[in-house]
Amino acid sequence: MPILEALMVAVSGFLVVFIMLVILWGIIVLISKVVNTVEKTTEVAAPVESAEQLPVKTEEVKKPHEIYGGEIALYDVDEKTAACIMAIVSDSSGIPLDHLIFKSIKALD
Amino acid sequence: MYIINVLIKIFQESGFAALLEDPRYLVMILVACLLLYLGIAKKYEPLLMIPIAFGVLLANLPRTGITDGLIHYLSLGVEYGIYPSLVFLGTGAMTDFGPLIASPSSLIMGAGAQFGIFTAFLLALALGFDPKVAAAIGVIGGADGPTAILTASKLAMEYLPAIAIAAYSYMALIPMIQPPLMRMMTTEKERKVVMKQTRAVSKKEKIIFPIAVTIFVVLLIPDTAPLVGMLMFGNLLKETGLTDRLSDTAQNALTNIVIIFLGISVGAKAVATTFLTLRTIEIIVLGLIAFSFSTIGGLMLGKIMYKVTGGKVNPLIGSAGVSAVPMAARVSQIEGQKANPTNYLLMHAMGPNVAGVIGSAVAAGFMLKIFGG
Repeated sequence: MPILEALMVAVSGFLVVFIMLVILWGIIVLISKVVNTVEKTTEVAAPVESAEQLPVKTEEVKKPHEIYGGEIALYDVDEKTAACIMAIVSDSSGIPLDHLIFKSIKALD
Repeated sequence: MYIINVLIKIFQESGFAALLEDPRYLVMILVACLLLYLGIAKKYEPLLMIPIAFGVLLANLPRTGITDGLIHYLSLGVEYGIYPSLVFLGTGAMTDFGPLIASPSSLIMGAGAQFGIFTAFLLALALGFDPKVAAAIGVIGGADGPTAILTASKLAMEYLPAIAIAAYSYMALIPMIQPPLMRMMTTEKERKVVMKQTRAVSKKEKIIFPIAVTIFVVLLIPDTAPLVGMLMFGNLLKETGLTDRLSDTAQNALTNIVIIFLGISVGAKAVATTFLTLRTIEIIVLGLIAFSFSTIGGLMLGKIMYKVTGGKVNPLIGSAGVSAVPMAARVSQIEGQKANPTNYLLMHAMGPNVAGVIGSAVAAGFMLKIFGG
């Protein structure tokens, strides 16, 4: 095989792989956007439907008393207790705190 | 006197006499023992190394006729490219594409890590290999055993054992081959980068992914169908949650059976008369070069991603773009932790790692298309 032809094959092969995976990137982004949009629409639509059928709740949904670090919702729990709980979870699971995500901490009745 | 004649006749018709006639078989028996040692004692890809080594041993015990009977029929699965595709089915059922879907930019690093395939292809041509054989040798750089075997079975059957042994040996040696290159290609600052946790991927995305990839990739390069199609089918079985029994069979029983057949068949192709040549050594050296350049390619793309994202991507995950799931991702994790003990790169590295599987299948499909498998 002549050198030039071999180089052309190698370069075009690498480009094909590259282009293919870049397009796949686009497809994945598209899938994610479509799925997320559909899921959000379903989530919004679902409570409206069910609200008509279900009896009105007497108890109001508890609002988080405080947002911790902009991410964690604390329900009837003070910051100190929450910090202790997070430290205990981290210690027991062996996962560093910066690799754990706490969405909410709620006191049980 | 009669007894002595009988004993002499038994010896003359035995494999021992044949070994004396052609000592190359003895060398191959020693090679088989060495491979068994590497598989058992050193734990180099034992699941495949041991069957391959035993296949080499069986095929090089003279006068057994086994290669015309049992091994011949088992080898049909390799010749028709059935076993590698079935291994991909199992791989798909074992693979979580979540990290890739969460961070699709990983695909770029998976593409970069195919650089070695084309470098080794050019080098093999320079060494005088036939273009078809050069293409099959190059695919070793994809660090994907089944893909290398499938390509070799279609383009370079006579070199299949050397290519398969080189591919699996280097996959096993990844923890030794990659770290020096990773340290050479990256700075201390780059290696210390801590990456943010990726987003959670919904079940729907995971189900749609294999279907979309199959339609798109196979339509564009039909030659990838046996590999990409089976990989994605296996993954779909896993992700639907409705076919657990099939997924379990694909992951365990089927894969194990196929690996036994594949290993024995490939090993048995390494017969002394065709294996002990200078070409085999050249293929093994080219395989190492292919692996190294693939690692470098992935790291280079990792460095580009580091720059483009303003230092948010740790370039060490680029080396995981050579398929070898999950070994290459583990190496990225280990090297990342050496630079920064609080670094957890494993899940981030799994993105390029599984992207590499798709990338090497596409590269192999391209080679098959060009050189007519």
